[in-house]
Amino acid sequence: MAMKLVRALALASLGLAIGVPVSAQNKEPVTIGAIEILTGPNNKYGLAIKNGFDLALAEVNESGGVLGGRPLVIAYEDSAGSKEQAINAARQLIGAKKVPLLLGPTLSNEMFAAGPVANQRKIPIVGTSTTANGITAIGPYVFRTSLPEADVVPVTLRTAKEKFGISKVAVMYGNDDAFTKSAYDVMKAALDKLGIEILATETFGSKDTDFSPQLTKIKSLNPDAIVVSALVEAGSGILLGKKALGFPASVRVIGGNGLNAPKVAEIAGEAADGTLVGSPWFIDKADPANQKFVAAYKAKYGTNPDQFAAQAFDTLHIVAKAIDAAGETDPEKIRDALGGQRYQGVMGPFAFTPDRDPADTSGVVVLEMRNGGFQILK
Amino acid sequence: MTMLDDFFWTYQGVIYALGINGLLGLSIYVVLSIGQLSLGQAAFMGIGAYTSALLTLKLALPFGLVLLAAMLVPALFALVVGGPTLRLSGVYLALATIGLGEVLRIFFLNAPLTGGALGLSGIPERGGFALIFGSLALALAGLVAIGRSSIGRAMDAMREDELAASTIGVDLPVYKLAALTVSAMLAGLAGALNAHVSSFIGPNDYGFDAAVTILSFALLGGIASPFGPVLGAALLTILPEALRPLHDFRLVVNGLVIVVAVLFMPRGLLAWRMPRIGARID
Amino acid sequence: MLAQQLVNGIISGAIYALFALGFTLMFGVLRVINLTYGLYFSAGALIALLAVQRLSWPLYAAIPAAILASGTLALFLDHMLLAPLRRARAPELASLMVTLGATLVLYSLLASPLALGTEIRRFPPGVIGGAAIEFLSVRISLTQILILATTLAAVLALTGLMQNTRLGLAVRAIAENAAVAQLMGIDQARHLHFVSFLSGALAATAGILIGLNFNAIQPYMGETMMLKGFAVIILGGLGNIRGALIAGLFLGVLETLTAGYIASSLKDATGFVLLVLTLWWRPTGLFGRATEGRA
Repeated sequence: MAMKLVRALALASLGLAIGVPVSAQNKEPVTIGAIEILTGPNNKYGLAIKNGFDLALAEVNESGGVLGGRPLVIAYEDSAGSKEQAINAARQLIGAKKVPLLLGPTLSNEMFAAGPVANQRKIPIVGTSTTANGITAIGPYVFRTSLPEADVVPVTLRTAKEKFGISKVAVMYGNDDAFTKSAYDVMKAALDKLGIEILATETFGSKDTDFSPQLTKIKSLNPDAIVVSALVEAGSGILLGKKALGFPASVRVIGGNGLNAPKVAEIAGEAADGTLVGSPWFIDKADPANQKFVAAYKAKYGTNPDQFAAQAFDTLHIVAKAIDAAGETDPEKIRDALGGQRYQGVMGPFAFTPDRDPADTSGVVVLEMRNGGFQILK
Repeated sequence: MTMLDDFFWTYQGVIYALGINGLLGLSIYVVLSIGQLSLGQAAFMGIGAYTSALLTLKLALPFGLVLLAAMLVPALFALVVGGPTLRLSGVYLALATIGLGEVLRIFFLNAPLTGGALGLSGIPERGGFALIFGSLALALAGLVAIGRSSIGRAMDAMREDELAASTIGVDLPVYKLAALTVSAMLAGLAGALNAHVSSFIGPNDYGFDAAVTILSFALLGGIASPFGPVLGAALLTILPEALRPLHDFRLVVNGLVIVVAVLFMPRGLLAWRMPRIGARID
Repeated sequence: MLAQQLVNGIISGAIYALFALGFTLMFGVLRVINLTYGLYFSAGALIALLAVQRLSWPLYAAIPAAILASGTLALFLDHMLLAPLRRARAPELASLMVTLGATLVLYSLLASPLALGTEIRRFPPGVIGGAAIEFLSVRISLTQILILATTLAAVLALTGLMQNTRLGLAVRAIAENAAVAQLMGIDQARHLHFVSFLSGALAATAGILIGLNFNAIQPYMGETMMLKGFAVIILGGLGNIRGALIAGLFLGVLETLTAGYIASSLKDATGFVLLVLTLWWRPTGLFGRATEGRA
């Protein structure tokens, strides 16, 4: 029975392989692959990214597609947050659908698993939301357009120190998630460099709901602020717990990228006021490109975009331009063209460093949560 | 690349998983076949995976030695915790092994050596189709041979009625500890093989969810013979991939399949028992 | 700080105890590892939330509705999935398996975009006030007092039910020896359904209170509680109500003190270490009766 299944699968992929055009026909679509978390916990990130891709895709195809009139198509595969499935999805897209480029995956963990697969087959893979350390070190075909924490967090902390005279803090981080742990490493290094004293370092699990033991201990140490590396769930729980224990309002929470989501205010309400976050993008950025994007997103999806959608939006435009610059759907040429791309998008000016990370960090702003929304810190 | 090479590369993940999950199915079969509901396979797999990955990454040992270590270290662990744990039975044993597994997972999460939440990445690709399926075939052959022998008869006796078995001279503690150790070795081997084709391992891969999944291999396939859990593993490995086109409904259908299978076949899909060498009493 | 930490621990423990009450009943009486228990916990919170958000019901109506709905769900699942297996005298493991499958199906249904998605939700602000009492150096909020009160009330009610009513007597008889109880004329099916309903209702109550206190409601919230739940019911003894209360409080306080005074990274390990040690040295728990070793 297993052999029958194997044979059926073989025939199916044979059919797919023959179906893909060998030489560039005039109006044949160009298909690229995308691996995102579309189901299961964390799918809110994947869906926001997909929305950003699709919005940009519509724009690209309306203005003539790529390579002289060929429509661009994205083949999505769901990783459901599992790294095995991310690997299988990468193999499917590269081996069966023969895509010349991959977008995603959503989480850094998944990129560590799927990135080497794409790299081994010399297919460029572009992460739009992976911010842990060491992503682009996986190999020369791994790119990322998301600003790593290492570029954002020091800005936030330095601003907090200068503006509020913060000299001693407590740190909390989720120790069971690669992203929050990696962001913590960055925070610790930045705090040390700025000469800010770390009074205590407490950990928690990403699924925890009760932070009172850690917060009670922190409260007794009287820090100027609490630096938190967490995703939305735990982060808002910490904010609520902090309020419930009666911390003075002057003790702010300074967060990493995980807290950079409007959902935090939705869950924590008033308790979120005063939270500081560094962000490479901000919904109220005044420039016309951004405002156009926000309006288009709202019109199409009925909700406000977040930074995941914004980063995905810019990335797809960059990728489309790279395909045009390459002149054909050859992965090697696309990769070379990608490295040299310059783009002015909703995130601001964009270029890759020689190590395939974002080069421009001038767009980073420090935001403060006030009355349910982020505003630029004044 | 030829068409077949391409096909193999595309589905490599699933193909290897069939073999590795088969090994895990055998690992839990060993303990279930003597009536012990020990759920430590995921933890042993983790020990094997981390041991092998660390040896390859830090000491660059040859793969053969690495595999050996990946089987011996979990076996050692099994010998140490086996004593007090195997005095328990039924649901208590299950919970104890789950508890131990979680303690281990938290250790992996916090020890600097194991990389914490970031796990170990950049594990070079070692082993492959021949090694994975060769090991599975060997293990299967070994367990079939044991099952048909007098040891197999003793195991059956233990599963049916422990008290009666001990009165006819089956040395319970020895069998239980031996089974746990063999189970640990198989799981450790599976962990090492898996680590070296996944390039990246993390602590959350070896917790409660993994333990329950491994249990489901055996329960779906049936534990009347070693082939049952291997079949169960194969089906449960292929199912999520085959259901890919269903997108959102994948997990729902996956669960439904399990529910329906159990309701209509509570003894598993493969209820066939192996004939034993020697006298038949029925 | 110690006083506040003790309070933290007691509240946390009360939540564990409340969760464990239904769990220990299900385990102790039905004798099955029912993985769907965590689902009733999540379902209770989600149903109450939906009633408040979408139907605009007031809280005092939404809560009982959610509790009843969850209990009914538990009863329904028991009837559909576990009762047939009991009738067929299927091996113990089959029940485990079928609840596993049901868990997969139901969690993904709950979490699918059709139903609720995996978004975290909260009760609308102001639905329950943030008022708190402060005395000495300790701060307790209204919701936390509510949790404590509900747990104690549940324990008293349940103990009363089990010790002083015929229903309770029948249930205890079934737990002691199902075959003999059947011979004595006790209708197993009906009583087991009742226990399922009660367990589901208790789980839902715990879920709603936690939803109110921590404001983080998502479909998978029952999963993580289950593992801690195992530790509590083993420590307290399977089927032992008083044991569940004491063990729950004990675990809550121990965890909090470990996190506050030793290392927060060890907080989760506390429960599991306790579980393993209990099983190694006194498997029937602090209050369980030794029922093993009948020849």
